Amino acid sequence: MVPDDLQYTSEHEWVRVVGGGSTARVGITDYAQDALGDIVYVHLSDVGEDVEAGSPMGELESTKSVSDLFAPVSGRIAAHNDALADSPELCNSDPYGDGWIVEISLSDDSQLDGLLTAEDYQAAIAST
Amino acid sequence: MSEPAGADDGLKTSPLHDRHVALGAKFAEFGGWSMPLEYKGGGAVKEHRAVRESVGVFDVSHLGKVVVRGPGAADFVNRCLTNDLDRIAPGQAQYTLCCAEDGGVVDDLIGYLRGDDDVLLIPNAANTAEVARRLSEAGPAGVEVVDRHDDFAVIAVQGPRSDEVLSAAGLPVGHDYMSFVEVERGGVPVVVCRTGYTGERGYELVVPREAAGAVWDALLGAGTGEKPSVVPAGLAARDTLRTEMGYPLHGQDISPSISPVQARLGWAVGWDKPEFWGHEALRAERAAKPARFLRGLVAAGRGIPRPGMNVYVDGEGSVGAVTSGTFSPTRRVGVGLALLDRAVTDGREVAVDVRGRRETFVVTKPPFVTPGSSAS
Repeated sequence: MVPDDLQYTSEHEWVRVVGGGSTARVGITDYAQDALGDIVYVHLSDVGEDVEAGSPMGELESTKSVSDLFAPVSGRIAAHNDALADSPELCNSDPYGDGWIVEISLSDDSQLDGLLTAEDYQAAIAST
Repeated sequence: MSEPAGADDGLKTSPLHDRHVALGAKFAEFGGWSMPLEYKGGGAVKEHRAVRESVGVFDVSHLGKVVVRGPGAADFVNRCLTNDLDRIAPGQAQYTLCCAEDGGVVDDLIGYLRGDDDVLLIPNAANTAEVARRLSEAGPAGVEVVDRHDDFAVIAVQGPRSDEVLSAAGLPVGHDYMSFVEVERGGVPVVVCRTGYTGERGYELVVPREAAGAVWDALLGAGTGEKPSVVPAGLAARDTLRTEMGYPLHGQDISPSISPVQARLGWAVGWDKPEFWGHEALRAERAAKPARFLRGLVAAGRGIPRPGMNVYVDGEGSVGAVTSGTFSPTRRVGVGLALLDRAVTDGREVAVDVRGRRETFVVTKPPFVTPGSSAS
């Protein structure tokens, strides 16, 4: 399941532009949540911290392992999805909706142009 | 993210492999076998809860099956493995250890005492050949050691409603913990033992390879209608279940470099026996007290311990390392086992270095959950 209205990274994150174009809402894809298994804890850099595209900005823990969450874009962390503190399983059950993870205030809107389209991402996961 | 292991990568597969594929299982490698990690529509946490609250069925056919038979077979096993077979009678099983001369653990296993001349051993998948080799080399004339790893499936039925599931599948129930019954089902012999690795009431079945599918189908089919819901459960749930109980896993919590004395498994050693492999080293270590002991950890915050993470006490530097750790689906906190300096005892607060963050844990005697208490 790869919704058409989102952009993607090769690290299996999705990006939705919110707040009139200056903020990116970020989550993990359905493919990623399936591969990780049951997510039991989400640890994130603090709100207000600057993040750089491609650098780790948090960790997702499943029962068995830990995976880094990479920032898909550069900017400042504007919000966490507070619902994940008590219900990290939302990342599994609704990865593109209530299971969103962070919002990042974009340092530069043009960086969105470098992300993958749904079609590109679908092709990327089909070839793994 | 680990790639799923398939059947075409040199790994062995269970007699039930096709059924796992049909159930949408994700596979992982366990001791040279490709085994189900979790099932589609389930997942580690749901499967874990099913075992604590109702019942789950595991395929653990990767476990070894080694038959030691011939005149004096039980006496011979008793001179090799740590636990004292004289503590049990034919029809009973026992947790025991195969140690090296230096006291390190080659494997932990279950021994089924069928009679003075017949013992069935269930070692871990990765260690089966080595256990069989050591026994075979030491065996007296007339005692044969036969590695029958591929001849049987092992199916674990675990959870408070296990008895209903076995009964519906036409299998005997209600015998004592750690005892077994051998029955004919559909013309084949099935060993039904009151054992398990989850802490819940349950059974482990040793089934001839050719009959494994029929038994599996009967067990899972027992969940229809008025009967309890039965789910297939994978080895990911088996690991979180055993960690909640503080049961050691060979290769992590016990190993060739972690002895039963350090792991506080002295109860599985027949100290009164004149000999067993590693007895001199183990007696000496027990008398001198080891520098470190295996203890439990429960998170005070949100940290999840993982094997290899260092453990610290304020002002003392490192006091040990985590050997097993996971998120406890029952308690919803991180739990684990760690080898800690002898002075760090139950009740102490320690810090675990979780990828650069110091997370607080309390040294806690396992089990971390009370089996049978989750049933609703």
